Amino acid sequence: MIAQLLEVSSTDLEDVRRRRLLNILLFGTGSLSFIALIGVVAAYFLGLASTEDFSRLAPIISAVFASLVLIFLINRRWSGWIAGSSFTLLWVVVFSFADEPRQVVEGRALFLFTIPILMSSVILRPWASFIAAGICGLVITIVAMLNLPDYAQGSPPIPTIFGFFTVAFVAWLAARSLENALAELRVLNTGLEERVRERTFELQQANEQLTLAYEKLQELDQLKSRFLSIVSHELRTPLNAIQGFAEMLQAEVYGPLSQKQRGALQRILANDERLLALVNDLLDQARMEAGQLSLTFEPFTLKELIEDMESTMRVLVEAKKLFLKVHVSPAVPATLVGDRKRLHQILVNLINNALKFTQNGGVSVHFYRLDDDYWAIDVADTGPGIAPEIRDSIFEPFRQGDVSATREHAGFGLGLSIVKQLATLMGGSVSVISEVGFGSTFTVKIPIVPPQNHGNQQRPGGRV
Amino acid sequence: MNQKFGLIIEDEEDLATIFSEALKAGGFQTEVIYDGYLAQQRLKEICPDVVVLDLNLPHVDGNQLLIQIRDDPRLAKTRVLVATADANMAEMLDREADLILLKPISFIQLRTMAERLGSSEE
Repeated sequence: MIAQLLEVSSTDLEDVRRRRLLNILLFGTGSLSFIALIGVVAAYFLGLASTEDFSRLAPIISAVFASLVLIFLINRRWSGWIAGSSFTLLWVVVFSFADEPRQVVEGRALFLFTIPILMSSVILRPWASFIAAGICGLVITIVAMLNLPDYAQGSPPIPTIFGFFTVAFVAWLAARSLENALAELRVLNTGLEERVRERTFELQQANEQLTLAYEKLQELDQLKSRFLSIVSHELRTPLNAIQGFAEMLQAEVYGPLSQKQRGALQRILANDERLLALVNDLLDQARMEAGQLSLTFEPFTLKELIEDMESTMRVLVEAKKLFLKVHVSPAVPATLVGDRKRLHQILVNLINNALKFTQNGGVSVHFYRLDDDYWAIDVADTGPGIAPEIRDSIFEPFRQGDVSATREHAGFGLGLSIVKQLATLMGGSVSVISEVGFGSTFTVKIPIVPPQNHGNQQRPGGRV
Repeated sequence: MNQKFGLIIEDEEDLATIFSEALKAGGFQTEVIYDGYLAQQRLKEICPDVVVLDLNLPHVDGNQLLIQIRDDPRLAKTRVLVATADANMAEMLDREADLILLKPISFIQLRTMAERLGSSEE
């Protein structure tokens, strides 16, 4: 309520500050004069004051009160300048009647004039204190000339006026320092607000960019899924058709074949299989990157796994005139739980990799129990070995040990990357020990009890 | 002479030919339909011993056809071989297939399968 009364209409912060200060002073002095008026009226009716005193004081106090109300209205609605000047002048005038003329000019009441001088510096402008001092000096000179015989010749009360200007100087200094400090604070404040605005804007922009990037990522993700389905369907379907028709020809569904035709068909089928394997590798890689590859854990025997491995690798091993030795330590459980198809893939990829770089000798596969929790497979070759500087990168996708050899050793360089990711999915790991010139040994470590989170329900129906 | 009857529902013509030839080699008489809707209509008229069913079909998908076959008492003896490239799709079927063939499907394997089915008595 009072805070609302103190409000003034202005956009200049300094003006607002002065006018609010003036309002506070008006409230204070207005309340005091109102109380004084009630006191005078009460004293008169209670017989404590004479009629003479009452008729002298009541009109003055009423006039002061009315003036204060008027100045308040001017200050609120109209002009802080006029209100402030009027307020200062009002008190100069009031104080000049406050006591006997000599007391006003030289004695007890003299200090009262410092009040308007000090006030003017804060409610008008710092330099207004000098004007107020001038006006006060003029007023007491007039009071002195009109009332005191020793001043009648026109000589002003110099010490008093000098005192006024000293007070004005001090008031000016104080008010100016205050205003400077406030102005600096406001500049700082404005800078701060601007900085906050700037930062907020930057944050908003970053947010928008993030949203855009996120949308783009989602788009890419969808593209990836689309790519997966294209590779899966559009590439595999024609490959399946090539394989099927070649098999039909080979089965002599369309009539008997010559030896050469048979040989050509064999090559078609072998290449189709190779292409299919590459497509499957790409697909597996993409699926694993998208986190879409899940494993199916079922019980299987090590014997089945080894038989599958041997039947898949036999042709290639014999073609390269290398050996494939298998050794099983008795401590490995005969029945294991895991994704047999993916374990087969790990073995085939490791042996393929070993055969690819081995010209003499062969590959030894060793199944053994590592400790209470893990079993392991070693795939050791008699190839050229892997240089130490590239040993860490061979498990990254699209890498091959010897980059210059990529043409000769055809493939995407996905085999080992897939091995590593599959082993990780199974809760295990893969590592390699190698000595240049003496071959490499890859070790896959697999938990005996498979992790829970990748297990799938068994598929309905059988599978071929 | 009661020759067994196999229906192939597959929209890829080449694959449909291979499946058809494999069934024929296994002793079946065959019919090929390339469209899900047409298969839906045809299945109301005929009673095949074996259906080779692709899942991605135009108009009506393989899963719906599988439901239709399984829910039709007339087709109670029909064996359904679902052929799909997507193992995940095969796991989400609403009815159980007799066999799930994961593409790529080998002619030789399918022929062996057909020979076994062709010779088996009910």
